[in-house]
Amino acid sequence: MATPINILEETGWIDFNRQQKQSGAQLLALTAFRDRQIRSHWLEPDGRVVSATFLCRGEHFPSLSPHLPEVAWDEREIHDLFGYIPVNHPDLRPLIRTPRWPRHFHPLVADLARTPVWEDAEPDNPAREVEGEGVTIMKVGPTHAGIIESGHFVFSIMGENVLHMDLHLFQNHRGVEAALQGLDLSLVPPLVSRICGADTVSHQANWAMAAEQLAGHQPSETLVRQRVLLLESERVLSHLNDLAQIPAGVGFQVANQRALAMKETWQRGLFSLFGHRLLFDTITPGWTATAQMADLITLIDDVNQTWRGWRTFVEGHHGFQDRMRDTGTVKRGDADRLGAQGVAGRASGLAFDARSLSPWYHDLAVHTSTDAHGDVAARFRVRLDEVEESWRLLRKLATKLSQESAQDVEWQPPQDLCGETVAFTESPHGLNVHVVALENGKVTRYHIRPATFRNWPVLALAVSGTAVGDFPLINKSFELCYSCNDR
Amino acid sequence: MKRAQKSLQFRHLDAGSCNGCEQELNALTSRFYDIQQQGIDIVASPRHADSLVVTGPVTDTMLRPLGKVWEAVPGPKLLIALGDCAAGCGVFQAAYASHGGVAGSLKEPDVVIRGCPPTPQDILDQLLRITAAKDPGPKV
Ligand code: SF4
Repeated sequence: MATPINILEETGWIDFNRQQKQSGAQLLALTAFRDRQIRSHWLEPDGRVVSATFLCRGEHFPSLSPHLPEVAWDEREIHDLFGYIPVNHPDLRPLIRTPRWPRHFHPLVADLARTPVWEDAEPDNPAREVEGEGVTIMKVGPTHAGIIESGHFVFSIMGENVLHMDLHLFQNHRGVEAALQGLDLSLVPPLVSRICGADTVSHQANWAMAAEQLAGHQPSETLVRQRVLLLESERVLSHLNDLAQIPAGVGFQVANQRALAMKETWQRGLFSLFGHRLLFDTITPGWTATAQMADLITLIDDVNQTWRGWRTFVEGHHGFQDRMRDTGTVKRGDADRLGAQGVAGRASGLAFDARSLSPWYHDLAVHTSTDAHGDVAARFRVRLDEVEESWRLLRKLATKLSQESAQDVEWQPPQDLCGETVAFTESPHGLNVHVVALENGKVTRYHIRPATFRNWPVLALAVSGTAVGDFPLINKSFELCYSCNDR
Repeated sequence: MKRAQKSLQFRHLDAGSCNGCEQELNALTSRFYDIQQQGIDIVASPRHADSLVVTGPVTDTMLRPLGKVWEAVPGPKLLIALGDCAAGCGVFQAAYASHGGVAGSLKEPDVVIRGCPPTPQDILDQLLRITAAKDPGPKV
């Protein structure tokens, strides 16, 4: 959705963004560009996208963080990757940069033809720790005891209680946005498909949507339905994974193993339907992988046989429910202030689900499930409901698609595609946004703003004040990916 | 020194993966594959491991932790690169903070399991090949 460029002065910039938040709009992204523009995109409650731009004075721009805490990380990231300085930022420590980065190396404005010469230093940034008698500092990571992604957490604890958890993530920072810069259109899909193994379809869909919007190409209703089918299949996959991990967080092995088995059955089904167990490489501009609808219905029926018994079992297990209740609570006000996304937001009573504003879902009437409690139990339950809702949508789509003749006329974006646009989908983890600028068929800027980037600070808040032993459970109830956060 | 047992106790380290390889590695613990039954297990500490499974293209921030974890695994030990990224041929090789997979950052891996991601069955087959090779004695 291309929007006119609306350049504002200092006060206008702050006021505009603050008013957007107050009027109930969703922040899509805060994006910096090489020509010193900082642009914000907002999704209004009626589905329109509006944007505003600030042109840096020298290297400086006024920080929005004191007024909009949810962009505190965005501005730190801009500071690291572009070197632009958010004036009055409350906490301008490095977010992605480490002491190993060469001085004045800002990858998104640097000349990357020369490989950076890394400093001979440890990659650790100073942590924010609580000082005082009886306070213990506990460091976890960056490598972990299980099979999970890398991330470093510094806990300040007093007895059992977490006073503060300082997040030191971005160990998985490969430099994906820079790697996309300068690429030819045809080379974008394989990279975008691998930004995150858990939200791959959503990322692929965003790129397809962006390229089609810029070309003014309207995909057919059938193609759109096939894409929604993939998006919902991915949601089921990711939620089944999370629903397996949450019981594992309290050592509830039976529930964990049965859910893992459902996930495996689902993945095997996806492999025989679409050719990939995680749905990589299934959407490109103008194209979407297709499958036999009857087989999809059989797969849903198959998994459902285990699902019904499993749901009754976990919901009726008092010990498990008791562990989840009132653990890691996020209040609605905090969720809203920090811009919590996806399940994390909906389980704290925020009703936002990007599907309800997406034209791709216009005839599907998606039911949004919310829960006011904000605890682990709420995040667990919202996922249970969402899996069933996705199955309902999948059945509906499969029925429609089986009545439609399959293929579209083949379409490829023009080789000289130009312009800037923003595309978004609701990934299993929440609102996932891409801001894309192209010149002459090449990428000049590719900004990826996944939901997890907003949710990490929400997790830190959920953990403070709880017993440190509850961290694995609370962490699993968010199940945030590191890869698309770190990029 | 020759290995005494026909088993494999690996520690996993993510050096910048997309989480695809992790998901498939995790699937090995489900009842469909049940790796423990085959004498393969995932251990919590490198000190308890006889092999290290690395995923991801090795980001700059994970370069040193990777070296330290490898150091901490007692010998004789095996270095296993899992997935195209770790194998040095994934899509993020050209990214500025990637160090060329396991071979480009630490040393030539003993075993490379290709795929993006490799399926759990592929991973299991390759791991079983290692355990089979470890035991020169007659098969039962
Ligand atoms: S090899 Fe593929 S699945 Fe594995 S980490 Fe790399 S991109 Fe992800």
